[in-house]
Amino acid sequence: MPEQISFPILTAIVFLPIIGALLVTLLSDRRPEWVKLCAILFSVGTGALSLWVLASFKSSNADFQFVSQHDWIKAWGISWHLGVDGISLFLVVLTGVLFPLVILGIDPHHDQKRYFAWLLLLEAGVMGSFLSLDLVLFFLFFEIVLVPMYFLIGGWGYDNRVYAATKFFLFTMFGSAFMLVGIVATAALARHDVGYLTFDLVTLAEHASFATNTGRWLFFSFAIAFAVKVPLFPFHTWLPDAHTQAPTGGSVILAGVMLKLGTYGFLRFGLYLFPEAAVWARPLFLTLATIGIVYGAIAATMQTDLKRLVAYSSVAHLGFIVLGIFAMTSQAITGSVAQMINHGVSTGALFLLVGMIYERRHTREISQLRGIQKVAPIFAAAFTVVMLSSIGVPGLNGFVGEFLVLIGSFQTARWWTIIATTGVILAALYLLWAYQRVFHGEPDEENSTFAELKLREGMVLMVFIGIIGFTGLYPKPMLERIEPSVDKLIEHVVSHSDFMPPAEIMPPEEIMPPEEMMPPEEMELEK
Amino acid sequence: MLENAWLIPALPLAGFIIIFLFGRRLGEPRAGVLATLMTAGSFVVTVGVFFALLSRASEDRHHVVTLFTWLPVGSLHIDMAILIDPLSVTMALFITGIGALIHLYAIGYMHGDPKFSKFFLYLNLFIFSMLMLVLGENLLVTFLGWEGVGACSYFLISFWHTRDSAATAGKKAFVTNRVGDWGVMIAMFMAFSAVGTLSYSGINEAAESGQLAAVTATGIALMLFIGACGKSAQLPLYLWLPDAMEGPTPVSALIHAATMVTSGVFLMTRMNPVLHVSYHWVMTIIAVVGAATALFAATVAVAQTDIKKVLAYSTVSQLGFMFLAIGSGAYVAAIFHMVTHAFFKALLFLGSGAVIHGMHHQQDMRKMGALRKVMPITAMTFIVGWLAIAGVPPFAGFWSKDEILLYVYANNRGLYLVGVVTALLTAYYMTRQVIMVFYGEARWHDQSEEHGAHGDATPHESPWIMLAPLVVLSGLAIGGGLLQLPFSSKTHFLEHWLEPVIESGERNIDGTWASDNKYLLLLVAVVIACLGIAGAIAVYAKKKAPALEPAILANGWMYDSSVSRFMGGPGRAAFSGVARFDAGVVDGAVNGVARVVGSTSNALRKVQTGFVRFYAAILGLGVVVLLAWFLLRGVL
Amino acid sequence: MNALFAENLVGPSISWMGISPLLVLLGGVCVLLLLGSIAPRWPKGSYCLFTVVVSLATAVAAMLQWHDVTKNGPKMLIADAVALDHFALLATIAIAISIALVSLITDDYLRREDYDGPEVYALYLTAAIGGVVMASSNDLIVLFLGLETLSLSLYLLAASHRKRAESQEAGLKYFVLGGFSSAFFLYGIALTYGSTGSTNLSKIASALSGDSPFSQIDAMLLVGIGLMLVGLAFKVSAVPFHVWTPDVYEGAPSPVTAFMASAGKIASFAALLRVLVVAFPTRIDDWRPAIWVLAVLTLLAGSILAVVQTNVKRMLAFSSISHAGFLLVGVEAAGHVGDKDALAAVLTYLLLYAVLVIGSFAVVTVVAGKGDSHTTLDDFRGLGKRRPAMALALTVFLLAQAGMPATSGFIAKFGVIKAAAEVQSYSIAIIAMLAAVIAAFLYLRIMVSVWLADSTDDTKLAVPTGAGIAITLAAVFTIVVGVYPGWLLDATRMVSNLATIAVQAVDPATQTPAG
Repeated sequence: MPEQISFPILTAIVFLPIIGALLVTLLSDRRPEWVKLCAILFSVGTGALSLWVLASFKSSNADFQFVSQHDWIKAWGISWHLGVDGISLFLVVLTGVLFPLVILGIDPHHDQKRYFAWLLLLEAGVMGSFLSLDLVLFFLFFEIVLVPMYFLIGGWGYDNRVYAATKFFLFTMFGSAFMLVGIVATAALARHDVGYLTFDLVTLAEHASFATNTGRWLFFSFAIAFAVKVPLFPFHTWLPDAHTQAPTGGSVILAGVMLKLGTYGFLRFGLYLFPEAAVWARPLFLTLATIGIVYGAIAATMQTDLKRLVAYSSVAHLGFIVLGIFAMTSQAITGSVAQMINHGVSTGALFLLVGMIYERRHTREISQLRGIQKVAPIFAAAFTVVMLSSIGVPGLNGFVGEFLVLIGSFQTARWWTIIATTGVILAALYLLWAYQRVFHGEPDEENSTFAELKLREGMVLMVFIGIIGFTGLYPKPMLERIEPSVDKLIEHVVSHSDFMPPAEIMPPEEIMPPEEMMPPEEMELEK
Repeated sequence: MLENAWLIPALPLAGFIIIFLFGRRLGEPRAGVLATLMTAGSFVVTVGVFFALLSRASEDRHHVVTLFTWLPVGSLHIDMAILIDPLSVTMALFITGIGALIHLYAIGYMHGDPKFSKFFLYLNLFIFSMLMLVLGENLLVTFLGWEGVGACSYFLISFWHTRDSAATAGKKAFVTNRVGDWGVMIAMFMAFSAVGTLSYSGINEAAESGQLAAVTATGIALMLFIGACGKSAQLPLYLWLPDAMEGPTPVSALIHAATMVTSGVFLMTRMNPVLHVSYHWVMTIIAVVGAATALFAATVAVAQTDIKKVLAYSTVSQLGFMFLAIGSGAYVAAIFHMVTHAFFKALLFLGSGAVIHGMHHQQDMRKMGALRKVMPITAMTFIVGWLAIAGVPPFAGFWSKDEILLYVYANNRGLYLVGVVTALLTAYYMTRQVIMVFYGEARWHDQSEEHGAHGDATPHESPWIMLAPLVVLSGLAIGGGLLQLPFSSKTHFLEHWLEPVIESGERNIDGTWASDNKYLLLLVAVVIACLGIAGAIAVYAKKKAPALEPAILANGWMYDSSVSRFMGGPGRAAFSGVARFDAGVVDGAVNGVARVVGSTSNALRKVQTGFVRFYAAILGLGVVVLLAWFLLRGVL
Repeated sequence: MNALFAENLVGPSISWMGISPLLVLLGGVCVLLLLGSIAPRWPKGSYCLFTVVVSLATAVAAMLQWHDVTKNGPKMLIADAVALDHFALLATIAIAISIALVSLITDDYLRREDYDGPEVYALYLTAAIGGVVMASSNDLIVLFLGLETLSLSLYLLAASHRKRAESQEAGLKYFVLGGFSSAFFLYGIALTYGSTGSTNLSKIASALSGDSPFSQIDAMLLVGIGLMLVGLAFKVSAVPFHVWTPDVYEGAPSPVTAFMASAGKIASFAALLRVLVVAFPTRIDDWRPAIWVLAVLTLLAGSILAVVQTNVKRMLAFSSISHAGFLLVGVEAAGHVGDKDALAAVLTYLLLYAVLVIGSFAVVTVVAGKGDSHTTLDDFRGLGKRRPAMALALTVFLLAQAGMPATSGFIAKFGVIKAAAEVQSYSIAIIAMLAAVIAAFLYLRIMVSVWLADSTDDTKLAVPTGAGIAITLAAVFTIVVGVYPGWLLDATRMVSNLATIAVQAVDPATQTPAG
């Protein structure tokens, strides 16, 4: 195991928010400002820790870092095993950054004590899911996040909140039902190879080998849970309801980090544990992802509710991520991970902005909004930048992931990529159309009083826009930390399956005689 | 000097940032002045770079300035780098040059607009993007600029966004361009998977060294051409350009005439080795599309009444000419025409802008006439532009158009015929415009009343700040032909200059009938121009014949409207169909499951009657079944 | 009984220490009744206190035995009629804990409904005796005695609220149907005896193990097994023998319901495991499919029926049915000879669920108010505002029953699922998990009215001390076990394979000092 550092920083990252949540619940309701202060302190603290991890992360090292491993339930071979690598690093950082922003940026309308408590608990759950290297531990966090999110949607959401929250809870739980059985079966079956019962991810992935069909069944038991979480077409219908009904903070977190639990799960558990099955299932998931991209975009175009529109755009964007994951090339998967972060930032910001619109106008109906750019130009400008990043305009972060995913996927999944790329056109269509209807034109009297961006809102948005700009122009630091782990994963997949990565083509600087070159029409790598 | 080439895009970017931060405080006119200076500065740097390059031997006129590594993932390694070579410098020269002039003009034109500084913010951002596009060392940096100019054109078209038409036009432009961008992206993917790099030198070397198979080359070429059709407004994607006239006129001049719309031509020229190794029918397709667009747009321009719409369609038509040249392997001619066209079309647009300005935002030519008396300088410069585009020697347009027709004739006589007809129409509709605007009787007196509130309604000449650019541009429109004179190979300055870039792609027509009889062709061109002009005079000045302006032409052969109708009708229906499918079927299934559980629950609930005898009966039933099972096991 | 004495008139040697838990309970009952009748009015809360002490004493006694067994290995007492092994002791401890917690709730309840007195507690203790006997019996007759002791006490307890008609009705229903099922059970014993010549589980097992002549008479034996299965399935309220459960749970006084759902279930499942695993390991292929079907039916019916209920008590009744389904999954897994994880899993589940269900019903008892009638969902509206702490506890219980990680409920479910997966019965494992998803809906519904629905009245309802303690203990236990279950699992893992012990017990040849 790679270098151990004395201070168990990852464990701290998981527990700090929990402690915060407890403190918040203990504080008296009569001192709301203390409650908020406490919440801010703990979330910022967690964020600082995650940034510290980022700072002291060894960029060239592909293994898990800052590992802390202790027995937890010896009887069942379950251990408290945390670690971070290039794939999870930025998700952890994103989580660490997003939560303070949400707590600082948005005030709940009532019961702020409980609100902050749930939010902090949620943060702990998300962090735990991204850091766990033990199947049961992962499942624990993966499942536990449902509870805070359920209460956030149900308690602080809009008119139809209970329906949405229940749907979200049960739909996701339905997925995990299969995963739990899958987890247990995996460990039980791997016992013969490993020699003892363990749920440790690394041990299982390195030593366990399943009969082909068994592996595929197990893979699917995991895949269902992740497909629901992502959400992958056709398991996506909980998302629009949850997003529309959730309070702004909930939506930001949901889009920003929680959806990534699914895509991250595919990478960390799907591909890593069951390479053969994952490769075997490629066509299915590539197809579902591509459908999701086009279908989500088309559905988004026709939404009349701004928040719903953004929700459907998430379905499309996550389609890109899944496409990249199952294309299984270095660029594609690196792009997917980058896209997880970038989608988190830009869609998070979009939900923030939509929330601000709702705060001002008390409606999300596009038809009710008009000509806002005239009365609130700065607000409109912020929205424009975020929108362009979501459309994937080069120079902004949205493009980096999308482009890498597509150019990487084209190597191994040509036709899917060609269709998926049309999503780029559709993205422009639905977002610009919505923008025109909401911001352009002459404002009618309800909209003519639309308040300009407030200082605090501006501050929060500046962080988002800063990330959007920086990542878009200089993604190198991010990519060079992600890539080693991705390459390691791909090697693992290649060595455990019949998957052939695309042939490395030398740029003509080091020219090879033409006859050695594969003629490109034979470079189709499908099947 | 070459090392400082990064300043070329850096200066406009700096302008953008400064105005972004302090735009409101700068206000009018300082924001405009700053933006203009930045662009002019970058022009100066470009000139310096030009001479530095000129001082080198023609084969090593190729210099790369790498700023930083942009996207390094595995075998994919993309630098944020700019490439200095004859082509990119040529582009940069007229972009920054004309750009600076138009900035200057805009200071006057946008006078009093509440969003004055914002306008120049966008304008500088556009110049920056456009420069990245042409200076890019690899396809992706070009794509960065490519999308950047798209975004800027979106902002600027919908600059007056409270007008719904403007907002819609901006959206239309962006989305239509995106269709083209799809092609460019696919082309990049193909290039990467075939060659393992996106840098022009890499791809072109691969093409020249035969490492790039014809199939792949064809694919890349076609996909890039789709992109070019989007940006350069070729059939079938030209739709957005006429609508783009909703933007302020300087924008139309800069983006939608001189620079952005030519980037498709630039890209084709940049990738000419790839086009060269791809199947020959690719060139034919490009030529045919170009010719078709040229003719199509020309016919439409004949019947337009909006002063800017005429110029818009004429731009589409001229761009068609350039693609016709590309398709005939006449890259030099294409670039030549691109430059001259930039001169005179910018001139014409700015002139029309001056007219609109003087007419208090009246754009309908039927409400104009006899304006040469009230705005003489505008009229003079406009007439120069007219002569240039009409192809009257010795104006710039004549030489470049003739060069193209020469190559086309050598390549395919059918297309030559189309080209000639287009030229004829061009001369015709431009003359028509000049007459309607500047000659005949003044038709603007009658609307001076309804304009009463506006103070004096009589058109007035524009301030010097708008006229100066006009004068400079008209100078260029007159002398632009000197770049490339057909008389002897010594006078082919542009050709020698671009040699290193286009040598593999450029078609050699020496010894063909066309080149032997080029003076005959020159003569034909002159005659054609004169015919067109004469015809227009006969119809519009002398009223010898009735004006032939059928509605079908005025509406652009119903193409745009039918496309819109399709999008609004079946297209939209299909989309909402998907949305309904999602709500009904996919989500319906989910809620259906819930409903099934609920109803089952209700049904089973009836079993819990509360009557002991009934419960006992159920117990008995269970016992029977259970025992039946065990008995079965026992007996068997 | 007679059969037993006829064999040796001197009477069997009895190791008193071995049955000390039983003796403690018995003593407790006698003292309670005697003193109760001598001194009619005891100081407030002392009945409860006494019962708690007795039950804790029982637990302590059981633990002492536990160590003894750990040291010297399991043994058979009273002519092999009663088994003294970890299985029995763990069940005993679980039952004892349940009584303790339940009596804490009962205390205030009785005074609120003003029929305070020793009777209810005494009945708890007698029921506990029955339960312990069932769990540790190694003889069908003894088991039946235990069963009847338990059942009779429960009938009375269910009807103990004299002022509530529902209570009376519940008692009567339970009595009639219970008698019905007991009859089946008894007949099953008879048939089994007829076909194997013994009522001793170990002897039956050895009689059926291959060579012996009896092993041929199958139909009769199998019918016997079937009938006994009916009797026990009724007790564990497995579908379709569950029909009584909702009405009785709803009608019975809330604390009693808690008792039935905890101690009652523990005893019945312990008995079920004993009979099936000890006596009929050779007939697995016959009874496992039956259990499989019962499990699936119970899981699905329990969860689905719960969905549309509006009375919390009734909801919890159905949820207890679906939990019974989960337990049956464990029983099904236990069918594999030499698999002890399943037994451990089932017992763990029983213990954890007992605490959960008592906790939940404790809250119900408090909310129900005077007359024990306010138990609809609407009565729980706004509990989060009125009693945040208690509402939070209830939420913990509900989430735990839904199997949320970091609660004891997850550990319980995980154990069972693991047991099932280890013997490759994936299908039933998945069905169980899906049933859990359906069941989750009803817990969510309760949580919705507790937290998300605005309260109708903001009158702070008083939480009595006893109930308060019980709820707190249960909640803490739930979380602690959920976060740090190691110690409990290590303990339950010692529950060794019943069948082998039993076999060891009958022929001393194989007797070996365990170590």
